[in-house]
Amino acid sequence: MLAVFRKEVIDTLRDGRSIFAIFVFPFLLYPAMLFFISWMHMKEGEEAKALEVRVGVVGGATLPFLADSLAAMPGVTAVPLEAAPASMDDAHVNAVLVVPAGILGSIARGDSARVELLYKEADNKSSAAAARIERILDPVRQALTVSWAQSHGAHTDTPPLLVVEKKDVSLKSEMGRYIAALLIPYLLMVMMAAGSMQTAIDATTGEKERSTLETLLATSASRAELLLGKCAAVIAAAVTGAVTGITGLWFTFAVVAKAFPAMGTSELELSIGPDKLILIFLTLLPTAVFLSAVLVAIGCFARSMREGQTYASYVYMVAIFMGLGSLGQQTPSMSRFFIPFLNTALLQREILTNSVQLLHAVAAVGVTTAAAAVMLTIAVRLFSNEAVLFRT
Amino acid sequence: MIEVQKLLKTFHDRKRGEVAAVQDVSFVCPPGKVFGLLGRNGAGKTTTLRMLATILVPTSGTAKVAGHDILEKPAEVRRSIGYLSGETKLYDRLTGRELLTYFGTLASMTSSSIVARIEELRGPFGLSDFLDKRIGKMSTGMKQRLSISRVVFHDPQVLIFDEPTAGLDVIGARAVLSLIQDLKKKGRTVIFSTHIMTEAERICDEIAIIERGRILAQGSVESLRQKSNQSSLEDVFVEIVGSVDGER
Repeated sequence: MLAVFRKEVIDTLRDGRSIFAIFVFPFLLYPAMLFFISWMHMKEGEEAKALEVRVGVVGGATLPFLADSLAAMPGVTAVPLEAAPASMDDAHVNAVLVVPAGILGSIARGDSARVELLYKEADNKSSAAAARIERILDPVRQALTVSWAQSHGAHTDTPPLLVVEKKDVSLKSEMGRYIAALLIPYLLMVMMAAGSMQTAIDATTGEKERSTLETLLATSASRAELLLGKCAAVIAAAVTGAVTGITGLWFTFAVVAKAFPAMGTSELELSIGPDKLILIFLTLLPTAVFLSAVLVAIGCFARSMREGQTYASYVYMVAIFMGLGSLGQQTPSMSRFFIPFLNTALLQREILTNSVQLLHAVAAVGVTTAAAAVMLTIAVRLFSNEAVLFRT
Repeated sequence: MIEVQKLLKTFHDRKRGEVAAVQDVSFVCPPGKVFGLLGRNGAGKTTTLRMLATILVPTSGTAKVAGHDILEKPAEVRRSIGYLSGETKLYDRLTGRELLTYFGTLASMTSSSIVARIEELRGPFGLSDFLDKRIGKMSTGMKQRLSISRVVFHDPQVLIFDEPTAGLDVIGARAVLSLIQDLKKKGRTVIFSTHIMTEAERICDEIAIIERGRILAQGSVESLRQKSNQSSLEDVFVEIVGSVDGER
């Protein structure tokens, strides 16, 4: 056993590229990922601050200090309303604060007073608006406390409570769409990468290792034709991986959860129309081409299946991280639509939440298509190089 | 027809710098003849044949294969050749029929001509019993017959065999040599590399002895014997290659 162990270790240590892939590459990749996550976090903070929200206020005039606090909060536009609207979308507001008519009387009696904050958990902007209103209510609460204490000669540590009752008014379908928008783009990225890795490395480095490549190179097909054929197979594997994954997800929610109600949830309804599915599929294609070209280029460059699979696993991890980047809570800035993988996941999220912006779509599809073209060119060059046969 | 003119191929080696694998190699092989490249392992046979098959690009010099220049018309060259190397393998997960269809398609054959060609070859090459079997489950002999069928499938004018009997048993090797002789009778141009003297003696019309990338002697088996005053090709080979070894 020790002899076998020793031989395998020597074998691995003498493969310089594998050593690089296993021991050196992580020290380059992980800092890059950390940098990326920090950048995303910073961007999200900036975007949250810059977000403009409209807040409907019912009975706002009855609550002292509220108007001043609302005016002082940047990025918030207060919209006076007669009553809580049936639909926040129709009222063109992101959240609604309902102040009951007799609130001052309650406070004067020393009773706790309640205000209602209506928002949609299924809407990032609405959630952000609700968070800001809560922050606005803090100084209002303080001012009321001081005012109450002054008028009653009491201590400020025992004021009547100003309770904010948050009420999520998301429809089940909206909540389902929101969850789908969070999950599906991320899962698509992961499944696409997982589905294509094996095919890409097998069709390139695997062909060399199995000694079938030389015969193939001696056929009348050009190197570009051969390479593009291989890429097409990898794209098919990537798309199949994604489609299978989504079908599995649909099966889980639409069939299994219904068949076994205990596994389901009464809080959301997952339903995605065929138009959205087609759009998601179309947005997936440039990314599938890009991913396939990257993996095939790796396969052409790698000396062995082991080396190729190691590099491919890093591509898989990058796809996972980029997919995770789409889980952010704020409306993404334009810059994120220039990053392959992430841009597609974000665009798919917009498709699923009916919030597609034309510029975002153009940037995401354009950048990914251009990146795919560049990677395909690199892959063709690597495959056309005679070293493709000798890199061992 | 194969016409080779002063082929040179160098590779870059980190320790040794530019290393010439093939130098100043020239020869002609007309249709209906078998040309043998005879040399030790690493002598430059495979590199020469790979350049003729346009898998490698020469550093200098050129060659014409079936009338097409390997530098100017590589696709036409590849369309005109059948290439078989003893080292190359087949796709284990395909069936014999799928393999032939795949290579027929890559050779720009139509679907109907592929079907017709499979029917044409299945009898003479004894493919019927295993044509629809996965290659991974075939015996070595079956794979060999399939390999040979693949090489001649698109009916190429020129055939390039790089040590095609490597790893084969006597029966398998004999089948390959028989095929080469049949192809010669049909007027095809055949170039064949080997380090097995008896094979070269048996089927080659002309031989080039190659060592360290250079052709040291060239001619018919009989003329080489006479020049060296040796009775067997093996003795001729040892004398010629040995003289170079002695100069080192």
